[in-house]
Amino acid sequence: MLGKRKPLWGKKKRLKSSYDAVIIGGGLHGLATAYYLAKEQGLTDVAIIEKRYIGLGGAGRNTAIVRANQRTQENVPLYKEALDLWPVLTKELDFNLMFNNCGNVNLMHSEAAMKAARMNVATAQFHGVESHLIDAKEAKALVPALNISEDITYPIHGAMYHPPGGIVRHDAVVWGLAKGAAKQGVHIHQQTEATAIHTGGGRITGVETTRGRISTNRVLVSAGGYSAGIINRMLGLRLPISVLTIQAMVTQPLKPILDHVVSSGAYHCYANQTLKGEIATGAHMDPWPNYTTQNTAHYIKHQAEALSDWLPCLRGVKFMRIWGGLADMTPDMAPIMDGNDPVGGLYMDCGWGYFGFKSCSAVGKYMAQYMATGNCPDILKPFHLRRYENHRLMGETAALVNYTPDN
Amino acid sequence: MALTLTCPICGKRNGYEFRFGGEDKGPRPPEEGLTPGAWCDYVHMNNCTAGVQKEWWFHRDGCGSWFTTWRDTTRNLEAEPPEANK
Amino acid sequence: MNRLNQLPTLRIDPAVNHSLTYRGRTYQGVAGDTVATALFANGVRIFGRSLKYHRPRGLYSLDGECSNTCMEVDGIPNVRAENTLLENGMTVKEQNVKGSAERDWLGFMDKLDWMMPAGFYYKIMHKPAAIWPMAMKQIRKAAGLGIISADHKMKGRYDEQFLKAEVTVIGGGAAGMAAALAAAQSGRRVILLESRPHLGGCFDYRVSTTSDGTPLHERARQLAEKVKQTTNIRLFEHTSMVGAYNNNLITAFQVGKADDGFTECYIEIRSDSVVVATGCIERPLLFDNNERPGVMQVGCAHRLARTYGLLPGNAAVFSVGHNPGLEAAVDLFDLGLKINCVADIREDGQDPALLLALTERKIPVLKGWVATKAHGSKMVQKATLCTIDGMVKRQFSCDLLVASAGLTPVSGPFILAQAIMGYDDHTGYFLPDQLPEKMFPAGRITGINDPDAIETSGRLAGLEAASAAGADLWTKVAETRNALAAMPGPERGCKLVIAPVKGRKSFICFDEDATVKSVKQAIDQGFDVPELVKRFAGVGLGPGQGGIPGHNLPLFVAKYTASKETPKPTTVRPPLVPAFIATYAGYNHHMFKRTPIHHSQKADGGIFRNIGVWQRARYFTADVDCKEEILNVRNNVGMLDASTLGKFRIHGPDALKALQRVYVSDMGKAGKDRIKYSAMCNDDGCVIDDGVVVKRGENDYYFTTSTGRAGQTAEWIRYHTRYDNWDFHLVNLTDAMGVINLSGPNARKVLTKVVDIDLSNEAFPFSGYREFYIQDTIFTRALRLGFVGELSYELHVPSSYMQAVWDLLTEAGKAFGIRNFGVEAQNVLRMEKGHIILGQESEQRTNLLDVGLGFLWDRSKTVARTVGAVALRQAANDTGRLTLVGIRMEDDARPARDGSLIVDNKVRGYVATMRRSFTSGEAVGMALVESQLAGAGTRLEIFEDECNGVRIYARVVPMPFYDPEGERMKS
Repeated sequence: MLGKRKPLWGKKKRLKSSYDAVIIGGGLHGLATAYYLAKEQGLTDVAIIEKRYIGLGGAGRNTAIVRANQRTQENVPLYKEALDLWPVLTKELDFNLMFNNCGNVNLMHSEAAMKAARMNVATAQFHGVESHLIDAKEAKALVPALNISEDITYPIHGAMYHPPGGIVRHDAVVWGLAKGAAKQGVHIHQQTEATAIHTGGGRITGVETTRGRISTNRVLVSAGGYSAGIINRMLGLRLPISVLTIQAMVTQPLKPILDHVVSSGAYHCYANQTLKGEIATGAHMDPWPNYTTQNTAHYIKHQAEALSDWLPCLRGVKFMRIWGGLADMTPDMAPIMDGNDPVGGLYMDCGWGYFGFKSCSAVGKYMAQYMATGNCPDILKPFHLRRYENHRLMGETAALVNYTPDN
Repeated sequence: MALTLTCPICGKRNGYEFRFGGEDKGPRPPEEGLTPGAWCDYVHMNNCTAGVQKEWWFHRDGCGSWFTTWRDTTRNLEAEPPEANK
Repeated sequence: MNRLNQLPTLRIDPAVNHSLTYRGRTYQGVAGDTVATALFANGVRIFGRSLKYHRPRGLYSLDGECSNTCMEVDGIPNVRAENTLLENGMTVKEQNVKGSAERDWLGFMDKLDWMMPAGFYYKIMHKPAAIWPMAMKQIRKAAGLGIISADHKMKGRYDEQFLKAEVTVIGGGAAGMAAALAAAQSGRRVILLESRPHLGGCFDYRVSTTSDGTPLHERARQLAEKVKQTTNIRLFEHTSMVGAYNNNLITAFQVGKADDGFTECYIEIRSDSVVVATGCIERPLLFDNNERPGVMQVGCAHRLARTYGLLPGNAAVFSVGHNPGLEAAVDLFDLGLKINCVADIREDGQDPALLLALTERKIPVLKGWVATKAHGSKMVQKATLCTIDGMVKRQFSCDLLVASAGLTPVSGPFILAQAIMGYDDHTGYFLPDQLPEKMFPAGRITGINDPDAIETSGRLAGLEAASAAGADLWTKVAETRNALAAMPGPERGCKLVIAPVKGRKSFICFDEDATVKSVKQAIDQGFDVPELVKRFAGVGLGPGQGGIPGHNLPLFVAKYTASKETPKPTTVRPPLVPAFIATYAGYNHHMFKRTPIHHSQKADGGIFRNIGVWQRARYFTADVDCKEEILNVRNNVGMLDASTLGKFRIHGPDALKALQRVYVSDMGKAGKDRIKYSAMCNDDGCVIDDGVVVKRGENDYYFTTSTGRAGQTAEWIRYHTRYDNWDFHLVNLTDAMGVINLSGPNARKVLTKVVDIDLSNEAFPFSGYREFYIQDTIFTRALRLGFVGELSYELHVPSSYMQAVWDLLTEAGKAFGIRNFGVEAQNVLRMEKGHIILGQESEQRTNLLDVGLGFLWDRSKTVARTVGAVALRQAANDTGRLTLVGIRMEDDARPARDGSLIVDNKVRGYVATMRRSFTSGEAVGMALVESQLAGAGTRLEIFEDECNGVRIYARVVPMPFYDPEGERMKS
């Protein structure tokens, strides 16, 4: 009965005693880096060490929104490249990633917010990314379900409209990248946990796993929300990260009603319709560190109140399922991508918060280059760890840094 | 709701009445002679413990006091302090 | 259809007719009917079409585990017709059909299943790339079940309740009722939730008896009567539990009755302990066409007859694996159903009494047999039965195939409460290995089926829960536990995973049209655990959320992969029952704070904005440039309601120490008659707040904060002193006092009219602080500030007198042209003065020094360990930081829009605020630029949005733009 089994990412492999590179974490960033190491850097002797199954962490829990309308010039080009890569990867991997470039409508609820949005729009346009400010009526034309009346908690003043963004089928990206990486020789070891990282003379020497020891001189920690804990526990390096639970939910499936990703900062709420017809909506973070991925009664109610306000037709729709995932937040809402500092051969790719999905393709490409050459590509340079002690936070959020983890 | 906290003054309350104030890092270090690395370690760096940790909380919608408590970050429940610290 | 009108088990009132409209025709149902049973009574058998293959679907479980009977009711999509009580005048539509449910043009899709193997979306439709956008459109159209219109307005009233209980019992069957009664007898406050409109559970419709000969339906009614008479049980019928969280927080929603005053009510219960008596549903039997209309589960067939008085068919075949299936066959036969054959999957172990009853009724019984196929294109016409080894087959004609592989516990509440689940080999149930704290199972969920045992286990759980909630009933607990142990224990469950079929048309998940074959395909491609199969093949993610596949999927995956590990259930997530967004939202009230003179501001034409927690007047005319408001402040006098400012008193021996910790200046210099302006930074040196401080007495200070920070200030100061054990008190006076900003060259003239003291510039100079009484009555704190750049008094008065003072000043100012100004006018006025607004001219990348407030920082007070000082010191000589500058457009051009970029080949900064000054006529503003560009006279290239390559230019100029010497505000 099992004779015809052809796993997408190859048959289960024996864990070798040495690899050229070891990647801890079989999520999107790890898989993408492995794929590009093999495809573009000629480094195929690579092992991915995954404690559970590939794509069960943040990769399978995010709501798959992609966009490139960030605030600063350090971030926009990276996300732009990631956005451009979806159709390319679909072809390369011969796996339909179901990129739906439906565009993002980011609502603004005050004059001040419109001004703040203008900076994002100008930054996008300066970098050749399509993005526009539109008024409330134009937003309503795009999203007929919007309530643009004055008598809601946060009346809608306008929106930032970003046509090239949209949604991608997140699971497909996991499976496609796994398939692509495995095809080129990458070993994907599921149900294998990294238990220690060995160093000697200030350099990486190996990784201990539940299935044996691997010697290697290159390790990438890209384990999503678990990265900071792993790096601290195994190497004694503390990071400016707080791991929070972020929640999302879907409604019962409907015929098309939302043609765009719509979001609102003031309501802490976004909504988009999946290809299956569900309205996927989130996202709130419980503002205290935890690794539970538990959802809360508080939040599902809050979400219902918010949607009742600005997408009132959804009051007649039922929530079907809510879940949580981990978001590893940094003080400046920008990730940490660094290597060889302070340990030679140690690479880290973490602190993505809730931006890990939309960036994974481009980050995989450049982290692979970083790991293969040892030299940091220009596009990743601004994301180094030392920016915090150098008092150079990234400005991805206009909000001021506070002492709480949810700044 | 996934958290109940015990305020030293108000007792067991809904976790949403409180505000998290970070891992317990000890008193502010002296200003003079603090290197950028040491400053950053105190201000920004975290242990990210998966397990029981000591942390600060503020009873925002209550008595308005700051207090420390032990919490298991893998279960989101208040916990006994680890033996070594008792 | 004729109803069985005389049954004692009925939950309908045949005498009260309700009508409904379906496909343009009016049908009659009766009170107590669900929408689905009313339609069934009128001969409707096909309720809708399935998602992918457009297969006909009908009544299956009657408990809403699948989307088979999801219909549009009164414009609301995806309503579970089988759980929704019929109301007179409802309009019902079928979903996901082209044509009708009966004749669906897309029915041919069922033949195309070979084109859609598991994961087919991922493998085709992207080659060539150009077809994907078109395919996507078609997928979107085909997907989804119901339709909601963009302007749909949900009718009804939605309520919410937040309750506290000592014991909460989930499930109002015999076990749940016994638990509630036992807990209540100990004096605990008990809440009992029942999802059906009436108590009774699996006793409600059965005529078999307890050991003392009472029919179960009668016993259920006896218990229900007791429950209703017990005052410390709060009963919620028609209430579905949807969530269970840490510390036994339970959420649920109740469907209101006609006289309840609400349509649905969201309920949140904090409970000390919880009894889970949710009972069982049935494990679907996997065979070909196992969801064809006419195939239904045992409980469905049984309840149709007993609860609703509707015979489920004319001639039936039963294929079951448990005693309740045999019991139903006997009872339905007695009610008039013809039964051609009863196949029992079990080769032995049947209840002998039931076998005897079947024999007496001459119903053929096949042991070790199972249904392998339902025949008939739209409705069941025939069934193939087969020995479980697949060797011998027989066919029986029938229009009803009652099929069930046995029972499966409703363990969702345990999974939600983070129980660690295991597999019980004897019953075949997924049960908690480890129970969550203070949560107790009762009744059929534990595997028992004997009626007496069900009640006793309920009593036991009730006593345990009461004890966990503080009652001392442990002796009784032990007694009851012994009594239960002497009763029949859990029954052996049916072990058959799937009938001997290949499974191309055996549906493991109805909602998503997932067949056994597609699950095999997923496993073959490496998705070999239930959680992965779920995602790849689409199983259990539809409206029913795993009610149908929840038990079968892990069993099947384990069987197909020949896994040695015990099967694990897939995750269950809230809400356990899909719930309306309207219901979760409840009242949905908006809460904003209003200032004490909100109404008069509104009457004066104020246009309000929600700013943080407040509502504030932004404009007073339709002119968003606020020209008149601005010029009136510059030329006459204006009044701004600034009550939202944060206002605090800090006093006590260590008050000054606390101020020194959070303010960057030396607060020891704060005086009695003079205000001291300073700023607070965070540890990165970013300015988080600015305001003024006055020393009103020894160890007693009054200070103000910005509107946005008022809510966090006490928290902030206490946070940064939390290790110090300092003795000080902080009082938030923000809501206790209103603030009027009286500004303009005529301000003194106006104030003089209502105050008796000397207000001359000598007696009360700029930066001065005075306390006096307005009209000898109203205690007032007056601060001479210059935010808008004119002679200006900030008057702090008790909130209760705010309106009176405002009216007095309005009257007094009439002669001097007094009028309101709003937040936007203030924004322009202060911009001309080069005064910053935090968050507008500052951000995460700028510190105190960058925004030009370095003069406030006293570097010598290191002993205070001032928040932010270290970062400021370390970054003080850093170059390239964003720096605040004044800018003026070249060539008298229009002002650049706020947020425009300052660029060369890279982004070098941005315009923070820019306006045309009505005073100077010039386009001036403030920008944050890299420090290299901050020198006076530097030409800045501005990139605006939608500029199409056209750049505009400005120059760095000194600030302020208005009255640089400050003569006007100091006058």
